[in-house]
Amino acid sequence: MIGLQLLVQVLALGAAYGLVALGFVLILNATGAVNFSQGDLVMAGGFVAVALGDRLHLPGLVLLPLLIAIMAALGAAVALVAYMPLRARPPEAVFISTIAVGIILQNGANRLFGAEPLAAPPLLGVGPGGGQVRFAGVTASVQSLAIIAVAALLIAALHGLFVHTQFGRRLRATAQDREVAMAVGIPVDRMIVGTFAVAAALAGAAGLLLSNVFFVVPTSGGDYILKAYIAVVIGGWGSIPGAIAGALLIAAFEVIYPSLPLLLPALNALPDSDGWFSQTVSTVMLNLAVLLILFVRPRGLFGEPIGQRP
Amino acid sequence: MTPWRTRLARGGAAGPLAVVALAYAVLALPHASGYAMRVLGTAGIYALLAIGYGFIFGLAGALSLAQGAFMGIGAYVSGILATRYGIPFDAALPASIGLPMALALLVGVPVLRLQTHYFALATLLIGQTALLAATQWQSVTGGANGMGGVPPISLLGHAISGRLPTLLTIWAIVAAGAALAWWIGHGRLGDAYALLRANQAASRAIGIDTGRLRMVAFLLSAGYAGLAGSLYVHALGVLSPDVLGFPVMVTCLTIAVVGSRLRVTGAVAGAVLIIELPEWARFLRDDYMLAFGCILLLVVVALPGGLIEALERLLGRLWAPPPERLPDPLPLPLTRRPPRSDRPLLEITGLTRGFGGVRALSGVSLSVRAGEVVGLIGPNGSGKTTLLNAVTGIFPPESGDIRLAGHSIAGWAPHRIARLGIARGFQTAALAPGLSALDNVAIARDAAGLGLGRAVWASPRDPAWRRARREAMALLDSLGAGAHAGVLAASLPPGIARLVEIARALATAPRLLLLDEPAAGLNETEQADLAPRLRGLVDSGIGLLVIEHNMAFLAPLADRLICLDQGALIAAGTPREVQGDPRVIEAYLGVAPSGEDMTAPFSVAPT
Repeated sequence: MIGLQLLVQVLALGAAYGLVALGFVLILNATGAVNFSQGDLVMAGGFVAVALGDRLHLPGLVLLPLLIAIMAALGAAVALVAYMPLRARPPEAVFISTIAVGIILQNGANRLFGAEPLAAPPLLGVGPGGGQVRFAGVTASVQSLAIIAVAALLIAALHGLFVHTQFGRRLRATAQDREVAMAVGIPVDRMIVGTFAVAAALAGAAGLLLSNVFFVVPTSGGDYILKAYIAVVIGGWGSIPGAIAGALLIAAFEVIYPSLPLLLPALNALPDSDGWFSQTVSTVMLNLAVLLILFVRPRGLFGEPIGQRP
Repeated sequence: MTPWRTRLARGGAAGPLAVVALAYAVLALPHASGYAMRVLGTAGIYALLAIGYGFIFGLAGALSLAQGAFMGIGAYVSGILATRYGIPFDAALPASIGLPMALALLVGVPVLRLQTHYFALATLLIGQTALLAATQWQSVTGGANGMGGVPPISLLGHAISGRLPTLLTIWAIVAAGAALAWWIGHGRLGDAYALLRANQAASRAIGIDTGRLRMVAFLLSAGYAGLAGSLYVHALGVLSPDVLGFPVMVTCLTIAVVGSRLRVTGAVAGAVLIIELPEWARFLRDDYMLAFGCILLLVVVALPGGLIEALERLLGRLWAPPPERLPDPLPLPLTRRPPRSDRPLLEITGLTRGFGGVRALSGVSLSVRAGEVVGLIGPNGSGKTTLLNAVTGIFPPESGDIRLAGHSIAGWAPHRIARLGIARGFQTAALAPGLSALDNVAIARDAAGLGLGRAVWASPRDPAWRRARREAMALLDSLGAGAHAGVLAASLPPGIARLVEIARALATAPRLLLLDEPAAGLNETEQADLAPRLRGLVDSGIGLLVIEHNMAFLAPLADRLICLDQGALIAAGTPREVQGDPRVIEAYLGVAPSGEDMTAPFSVAPT
């Protein structure tokens, strides 16, 4: 039963990380550049959700469309300020300009909301707590289940956007080959701004989902960008399903590693067993595992979607 | 122009900046408050950190995010040794500099292989892990609270107390570190790094061990960071995990970008600017960091090369240095003139290489003799360039053998193959854009001998470098490109760039030269000029394997032609035989020849 309970946690956390990683990989594909402010956009989304919740007293699910619209506008602004002027420059330039955007977002949030941890409203209901459901002996929080459902819906909607709309087809064409897309008359610049908007909207949704459970502070973003970055690297640089798989793997590690003494009581016999399964050690272990993956498979766990041809 | 003015103009922004610094030291420093001196000392420490970062991020062009961690480790080593074991600053230096370098060596072997974004992530994770370890390992590091009571800097038993002596000590060390960094970066080694940044494959093709060069840069940056961290903890008197945090790395990166990543002066000026900025912008108070982000964004967007390069462009307009005098040509001693013999110089047997499911080469066998021109033709995607890449070691073959003068070189690293005597040109000329045509050729002379030791002892007045430049001049003259020797590679017309690349290949004194479409981009006069020059080289004993679509250029030049199609050899023989071969015609035109007219020699249009 504990296994199922952990599975719900893994899926909820993985779904939220997946949204962050998805935004990261969309921008990566469209521009070839790393958006280092993706984590800070999650943080910004969390604060926007807090502000909306404070004023409107509505459940998160109702706030979500409004939040997505606000975050899409923010994403487009980031594209115009930090990407467009640097189109013709090496990718490091965008890396640094988006670090600058991150600094601006963090300190802007600090100015507006302060450094105290805040919680966004839950998806269902408006109070800080969330209900629990019991089914077949498994206890799960309503929020966790709602996160899984919302993230799945968003990913499905994104899939629909990409496959069934002209806008989505143009976005994909831009991501696959910018020159050719330009040659057939796709307004590539507008598509890239659109990609940033979609990516920021995903980050914002993740911010709403995550900041109810983990709270949000202005420095929350650092952790999320790292998770997204790792997810995209182990999932295969540029692969969309890989990014989601990578996010689920990270979530699985983060949920299961600290619970190991619970799953395997024999581990409690280890000297200083509490110290070995703390959150900090879990992060260190995750980092080391990712480094190991990079050393053994320099192009990620599943390889890059397209082989390099010099 | 008088010599001192020439020298000043060549020094770029260094002269004017030195004047400003000196004026500040004389006029303002004696009256500065203790607090101001402390801030300036911190700026010096960040200058040292950023000068070190210039090796990996500037010279080697790799975005490392571990520089902050290396500084933090240096700080922790020095701080712990001082507070727990009473070991003073200078006696601890071997450990506080050595440990970050040892860690860099340890992680560098696997990490430096990684390309840009993977390298950035790996270095970021190393930094984050170091921070977590420092906060977790409480018994040794003091955990999240850190440790107080770190004694001040001491040298040879003399504790340096007081703000001004501390400040002067820090800046004396910065000056020494800056001089060493300038010395290392401004010679042949600096030129080699310029090519490494521009094109790794081209660097390896002239015998540069790019892995070693990147490692040297990574180690130097770690060593400088360790020193900076050690100074930091002794100057501050407190050891705290903040020194391992990502903000230190962001500050370092900002300094490098705002200052100019390729200039030692950029690191120093950037550090002073970024560290002093909060003091000047005190009126902004809480919004300072917000302004900081905006300034960083503005500089990245508006000043691509950073402040110092912008300043240099400005100064260059005011007093441009006179063009450098070109060296007298010195003909190259052909030390490796191979004997003409019937034994093939290059022997390829059963070469196979695939990419994923695509067979790029399957069972190709061919040979090239010394003093022979072999033309390699075939439709696009037939495996010609892959063959060149396999021979030069970029893509090791899956099976089959490649022998150069009897030595099997299959699976060797590209720089080792280059050192054995195979040189190549690329489909699009791969030169270091910021170097003159002459220096682009000169790097390839004895590139195997490049190294840190030699750079420290000899650069930039290395007599071997002067000779290399004279020999490069002779090579450019011999190819008819001598008039462009002083021009920056970025401004060379494509035809000349191609000749410069051939000259660079020849500068390695190769036994075998591989060229990939040398006539592409040349006009007819240039083509007519190039062919006899290539023939002359071959007559002196070099073997030449040349990929070319332009039959008008290739057919008279080549002794033999080899045609590939879909990775397999379909025809070999004299140009006339191969051009008339029905399989060749089919491969190019996609139809089986019918009737007599099709069997006549044809000229394949350049694609």
